[in-house]
Amino acid sequence: MDLTSPLGNTNEGAAAAADLQTSQPRPVSTAERIQTVDVIRGVALLGILMMNIPGFGFHWSGYDKLLKGPQNTADFITLEVVETFFSGTMRGLFSMLFGAGMVLFTLNKKETLGGVTVAEYYYRRLLWLVLFGVFNAYILLWPGDILFFYGLLGMVLFPFRKMRPKWLIVLGIVCIGIGILKTMLWYNETSDKRKAYVEAVAAEKSNKKLTDEQTAAKSEWLEIEKNQTPDTTYVNRDLRKMGSGYGTIFTHFIPRNAGSETWGMYHGAWDMLCMMFFGMALFGLGFFSNKVSTSTYSTGLLVGYGLGIPIGWILFQKGWVEASNIGAYVDTYRVPHWVLYDVRRLLLCIGHASLLMLVFRSRIVPWLMKALSNVGQMAFTNYLMQSIFCTLIFYGYGFKFYNKLSYYQLYYVVVAIWIFQLIFSTIWLRYYRFGPFEWVWRSLTYWKKQPMRLNNNGN
Amino acid sequence: MTISFPEGSKYFISFQSNYCILKCFLNLPPKKRHMIPPISEVPPHGTQPAISDPSPAYPPINSPRIPSLDVLRGIAILAALFVSIWIFGGFSSNQQTGILLRSKGLNYRLFGTVDLLLDGKMKAIIAIVFGAGMIIFMSKQPQSRFSLADLFIRRQMWLILFGLINAIVFLWTGDFLFHLGIMGILLFPFVRLSKRGLLIASLIALFIFCGKNYWKYADDRKAYNKYLAVTTIEKKIKKDSTDNAKKDSLLKAQKKDGLPAGQKADSLSGKSKTDTLTKQQKNDKSAWEGKVNGMKYDAKKDDGEKKAMRSTSYGKLWNHVLPTTQFKEASWTYQTGVWDFAAMILLGMGLFKLGFFTSQFSRLKYLWIGIAGLTAGLLLGWFRLHHNQLTLQDYANYIDHHWIPYTFFFPFEMAFMAVGYASVILLVLGAGPLSGLWRGFAYVGKMALTIYLMQSIICTLFFTGFGMGYYGRLSQFQLYIIAGEICLFQIAFSMLWLRRYYYGPAEWLLRCLMYRTWLPNKKNKPAITESTVTIQS
Repeated sequence: MDLTSPLGNTNEGAAAAADLQTSQPRPVSTAERIQTVDVIRGVALLGILMMNIPGFGFHWSGYDKLLKGPQNTADFITLEVVETFFSGTMRGLFSMLFGAGMVLFTLNKKETLGGVTVAEYYYRRLLWLVLFGVFNAYILLWPGDILFFYGLLGMVLFPFRKMRPKWLIVLGIVCIGIGILKTMLWYNETSDKRKAYVEAVAAEKSNKKLTDEQTAAKSEWLEIEKNQTPDTTYVNRDLRKMGSGYGTIFTHFIPRNAGSETWGMYHGAWDMLCMMFFGMALFGLGFFSNKVSTSTYSTGLLVGYGLGIPIGWILFQKGWVEASNIGAYVDTYRVPHWVLYDVRRLLLCIGHASLLMLVFRSRIVPWLMKALSNVGQMAFTNYLMQSIFCTLIFYGYGFKFYNKLSYYQLYYVVVAIWIFQLIFSTIWLRYYRFGPFEWVWRSLTYWKKQPMRLNNNGN
Repeated sequence: MTISFPEGSKYFISFQSNYCILKCFLNLPPKKRHMIPPISEVPPHGTQPAISDPSPAYPPINSPRIPSLDVLRGIAILAALFVSIWIFGGFSSNQQTGILLRSKGLNYRLFGTVDLLLDGKMKAIIAIVFGAGMIIFMSKQPQSRFSLADLFIRRQMWLILFGLINAIVFLWTGDFLFHLGIMGILLFPFVRLSKRGLLIASLIALFIFCGKNYWKYADDRKAYNKYLAVTTIEKKIKKDSTDNAKKDSLLKAQKKDGLPAGQKADSLSGKSKTDTLTKQQKNDKSAWEGKVNGMKYDAKKDDGEKKAMRSTSYGKLWNHVLPTTQFKEASWTYQTGVWDFAAMILLGMGLFKLGFFTSQFSRLKYLWIGIAGLTAGLLLGWFRLHHNQLTLQDYANYIDHHWIPYTFFFPFEMAFMAVGYASVILLVLGAGPLSGLWRGFAYVGKMALTIYLMQSIICTLFFTGFGMGYYGRLSQFQLYIIAGEICLFQIAFSMLWLRRYYYGPAEWLLRCLMYRTWLPNKKNKPAITESTVTIQS
């Protein structure tokens, strides 16, 4: 950040002056924000709710019924559309922009001699993000939190910030490759278990006496199948817990949160890391900052959607619907469809982003773009707000809607929250420089209360 | 928040005599020479004064080191093997349980001693020295085109990878390089904290670690209470069913006397309602029973493990070991490891800033810290062992009578003893030149990474079926002899190696990866260093 350049014509002269005096790295100011990045982030942020809402208000046992039931219900079609077009892509876009934001944060700041280095600020910021993630999971009670993971994985990204896009793409592909490898390892293990089971059953049919190993193999597979189908005892227990007060849900979620933070990090890091690398690469290429030609965006749209949507559809039909009968699925396929998951995600992410960029360029709906960029600018606040709202709507200490709405009705809630966040962000940013949680986060990072109110004479 | 350096380190003088500084000095281009600060202004504790030129392709070969840190690291890395050998060699926790329950005999005393003196403390010293090293690293003058933060984070990430290789390829489930790598990154923003801040942070981490131990115990207690509840229900059911049976026989007798059949049906339906436990209750019951059974000593318990570890196929071994490794790297890290390492690393950082490692304290102070640390640590250790025995004898009874688990003070035990040991060693070392065996330890400490990885390779080859298959075949006593032999070999090896090379092979590789160039490692006659520094790769 060039502190000597005149910042007087922006609407934050006072803040800039304050920063000039202290002459230290400081938050990215409004003037330097790239609006398109905010727009995409806003869409990703709103889209994430679309993927998260079942986690908030729908017990997983419902999927079993949905997938094995008739396919022309509103519920099924909703699931089909969401899974085909959006699943994983909003998270993907969010990861991509996190990668881009990392580059923005670290490379836009000038080092001050002898002062706290940008690297230190960066790592402090991420450490706070990890804590916010823990807060979101354990206190706000959202077990699907991603902040924890982003905080930790952001720490991995730092040494790659100056890498050329070409190599970042290679890294992203390597990460996808590791993800695929892990999926294959897991799937092979499962199919080995299935084979052992099938053999044991065949032996049983031909009236042979089962060896100990065969009996074990048989029961092991049956256990897997049993875990796939919901058990009413446990479903009812879960529902009862979700309908109770804060304390009960808090303790109910502790092992769940611990488990997801542990294993999500250990096994799921590749899922996020690959997208972050791609995001850094795309940002380096100017893709997110509106610097690429319209024809490139159009190509991105065509290729992304053209390949991504069919793959997504196949993935849903096979990987979801057919795989709900796990035994038959494992018998039929040597390679599971899920290996395509990240490829599909990447393609659709590029498709979504291209589409957005094209809409932005065409200036059809400038007001919507502005609103979306507002949402994106306070993405952190909006993300936590979604946790607060949804837990209050669905959990027992709020309006107790947990598992009361059918699948498609969940999306009414989504739309309502979207509208609220679009309006709220726009109003808030008229008066303040950052969203409230952004302000807390920044103040903690710089260990100093940040100016928050906008200077009105600038407007 | 500023980094505070200990002033006037005694070691500084000995660094001056170390001609490496002179070497750097000689090899700098003349126009840069004016940038070299006069000797008296050089920051203490071994930063490189001469290199303020940010452009050299790679750093000078010999950065001055703090010998006491090398000695500590060397001793700790060797002594830690005497505990690791339990896992390497198949001295299982089941066998330890057996020994603790017998609570007499040579085996018991041997185990108790090693457990008291070494278990966890050596790892703690390594982490403490690692923390001190972090501060040294971050207060160097930048010497290459990379910033210190870049170098540091990159080093940590390679360490994580080294740890993964150590765990997944060399099959060492107890690896801690992975954890040191991660913790270095997590604690990177703490480097700038004041000494007081660091010590407080360390204390907080220690308390959380204690808390974690307590919460685990509280969970056990909850499981036990649930079990008790279920067993009372069970008893009641049993009583009811016997009552019902009595009633039934009574009814039958009455029926014979011609009473209406309706009553009988009632009692039967009542019986069928209550005579089984619900699924949840059964789970509660088996959860506790499983826990208690898991703690019991059983001579045959290790047979499966022994067979698996003696399997001659690497693939099978790999598959067998993987879940343990993953548990250590994921669950253990998340639940305990973070606090364990954070406490010690922060402590090391704080102590370094206090001047502890650079002989800033008076001899008396070292003596007192040593005595106090070791005494307190041993007392807590004695408490732990004693309560561990009680736990193993009858966990239910222990839960009834104790509100804290035997592990409760373990974090403090480790911290106290680690600091105590360090203090005593620093006292003995004094500020003078190292002699004899101390030099040997310093050599080991200088190439600790290599030594650590080598331990895994040697032990995996010696104990698993892939190698010589001694897993579970040696007694505790024999295991310590093996560990001792390995240590002797490693001391000799590092002395020989460092005579010819600047760094241990793993250290050299790590540095090459860090700086992204091939660095010279072979030592030759002193003259050669000049040419190697001037040749830019």
